[in-house]
Amino acid sequence: MTARRIRIVAVFAISFIFLLAWAFPIVWSVLNSLKNDRDVLAYPPKLIFTPTLEAYRDVLFGSASILPNLVSSFIIAIGTTVITMLMAVPAAYALARLRFRGKKFAGFYVLATQMLPPVGIIIPYFLILRNIGWIDTYQGIILIYLSFSLPFAIWLLVSYFEDIPFEMEEAAYLDGASRLRTLWRIIIPQVRGGIAVSIVFVFLNAWNEFLFAVVLSGNTVRPVTVAMFNFVSVEQTLWAKLAAVSVLAMLPVVILGVVAQKNIVKGLTVGAVKGGGRR
Amino acid sequence: MNGRGQVWFQDIVKMHGEFAALKGVNFEIQPGEFFALLGPSGSGKSTTLRILAGLDAPTSGRVFIDGQDITASDARDRDIAMVFQSYALYPHMTVYENIAFPLEMAKLPTAEIGPAVQEAARKVAIGHLLDRKPGQLSGGQQQRCALARAIVRKARLFLLDEPLSNLDAKLRLETRTELKKLQRSLGVTAVYVTHDQEEAMTLADRMAVFMAGEIQQVGRPAEVFARPNSIDVAAFIGSPPMNLIPGHYRDGSVDIVGHRLETSLKESGERAVVVGIRPGAVRITANGIRATVELVEDLGDTAILDLNCGGTFIRARVSDGDVPREGAMISVTARTQDIHLFDKATRRRLS
Repeated sequence: MTARRIRIVAVFAISFIFLLAWAFPIVWSVLNSLKNDRDVLAYPPKLIFTPTLEAYRDVLFGSASILPNLVSSFIIAIGTTVITMLMAVPAAYALARLRFRGKKFAGFYVLATQMLPPVGIIIPYFLILRNIGWIDTYQGIILIYLSFSLPFAIWLLVSYFEDIPFEMEEAAYLDGASRLRTLWRIIIPQVRGGIAVSIVFVFLNAWNEFLFAVVLSGNTVRPVTVAMFNFVSVEQTLWAKLAAVSVLAMLPVVILGVVAQKNIVKGLTVGAVKGGGRR
Repeated sequence: MNGRGQVWFQDIVKMHGEFAALKGVNFEIQPGEFFALLGPSGSGKSTTLRILAGLDAPTSGRVFIDGQDITASDARDRDIAMVFQSYALYPHMTVYENIAFPLEMAKLPTAEIGPAVQEAARKVAIGHLLDRKPGQLSGGQQQRCALARAIVRKARLFLLDEPLSNLDAKLRLETRTELKKLQRSLGVTAVYVTHDQEEAMTLADRMAVFMAGEIQQVGRPAEVFARPNSIDVAAFIGSPPMNLIPGHYRDGSVDIVGHRLETSLKESGERAVVVGIRPGAVRITANGIRATVELVEDLGDTAILDLNCGGTFIRARVSDGDVPREGAMISVTARTQDIHLFDKATRRRLS
C-alpha cells in the first residue's frame, strides 16, 4: 500500500514538473498580456497586479493593429488546408489502391520530400517566386506550404486507406455503386479520423509557420507570426503587446485542438490497432 | 422471375502471369438452381466466382448471363448480388443503411426502400437490429445482415463466397438449412463457393468439382458421390474419404492386397488400376481380405474402423451392432457394384 502510494506521488510529481515546463511560457504570455507597460518591466516579476486589457486593445485596434495579419494567417492556413485535403485524399487513395507503374517510386518520393531541411531550399524558393512575381502574395506562400503539407498529408492518409479491405469496395461495386461514389460513401467515411488528424496538422503547420513566411512575405501579405516581430525593435521590446499577440495567435490553435481532440485521439489509435478501424 | 439467372461459362482461362488459375472452364447453370463450386483452396473456384461477379476479368473465354455476353461489362451493371466471406458490411452505416444501400444505388424511390429493407430483414430474422452498427452484432447476425443486403435487391444472381466459414460449427449447420430454405423461397439462382464437400453435398442442386484450375466433374451431389469420374474427385468427396488401393485388373476382376474381387467392368486385358471402396461399403465377411483392427472410433450409431490389411491401410464404417474389438483379426470384402475402378495412369474412371 505504501509502495503504491509512493509510486502515485512520484507519478504526480514527475507529471507536475513536465506540466510546469510545458505551461510556463503560456502562463508567462497570458500574465504579461494582461499587464501594463510598467508592471511588465517590474523586477522581481509581479504575480499580483491589476489586470488590464490595454495591450489587447492596442494590438487589435491601435495604430499597429495585427487584425490584417490575423486575416492573412487565416487565408493562408485555410487555403493551404483546403487545397492540401482536396489533393491528398484522392492521391492517398490512389497510392493505397491502384496499381500503376512507378507506384513504389511515387511512394518513396512523397516521403523523401520530408527529409530535406527547409532552410536548405528557402533560397531557391525565394528566387523562383521572385522570378514569377509571387513574392508577397497568397498564392506564393500557399504554393510553398503545399510542397510540404501535401506529402505529409498523403503519407498520413495512405495507411488509413490501406486499412480498409478490398472486399468492402467490391461489395459496393456489386451493390451498384461507381468507383467515385464508393470512394465518397464507403471509403471516405471510414477514414474520417485520418482526415481530421490531417486537417489539424496541416492547419497548425501553416498557421504556425515562421521561417518561410518571414522570407516570402512582404507588406501586403504578412501572417501574424511575422507581424509579431514588429513589437521587437532595436530600442525596445513591447512585451505586453507581444504577449497579447502571442495569446491571440494561440487561440485558433487551442480551439482547433479542443474541438478535434476526440477525433485526433481516435484517429491515432485506429491507425495503431489492427482491425480497429473496421468496427 | 422465371428464366432469370441462367449462367454459361465458355472456355474461361485466367492467367496470373505464367500461372494458369483457370485452364479452360466450361459449365452451365440453370435458372433457379443452387449451384456449388467445390474444390480445395487454390483450385480456381473463387476465381471463377470473381469472374462471374465481374471483379476479375478472364484472360480469354466468354461469360453469358441469360444469353447475354457480359464478359466485358462492369460488376455494377451485371445485376448480381454477393455475400462475401468477410461479409464486407459497411462499418459506418447502421444495419438498415447497409441493407438499403443497393436500393439507393439503384435509385429506388425512398418510399419503396423502407418496406423493402424491412422485408429483407424479416426474412433473415434481424428485423429488431436495424438501428445497430455492424460492430455491435454477433458473427451470426453480421452474416444475416450480409444476406439481407444481398437479397433486398432481387438480383438475378446470388453469389456466396464461403459464407458460413466464419461461423462456429453449430451455427453453421443451422444457417446452412436456413440458407437452403431462403434460396428455395426466393426462387433465385445461387452460386455457392465452398471447400467443404459436406456443405456442397447438402446444399447444392448441382455442383462443379474444381481441381488445379479445371472442372473435374459436374453433376448432382448424389451422382458425383456415387460415380466420381476421377481419383481426385473420389478422394475429395465423402467423409471419411474413399479408400483408394492400388490393384491389378485382369479380365473382369481385380487383385488387391492378395485378394481377388469381381468388378462390374467386363473388358478383357490387364492394366494397373486404383480400386476405390467407400468406408461404408466395406463389409465384414467370413472369407475375404484379412485385416487387423488397429483403431475403433465410436460415433454412436456407427463406428469407423482403421484396418491394417498386410501393410495396406483402409477405413471401414460399420453400424454399431457388429463393432469388433481393437486388435481383432477380421476379414472384409465389398460388393461388386460398390467397387470403383480408376486407371492408374490417366486417373480417370474405368467402370
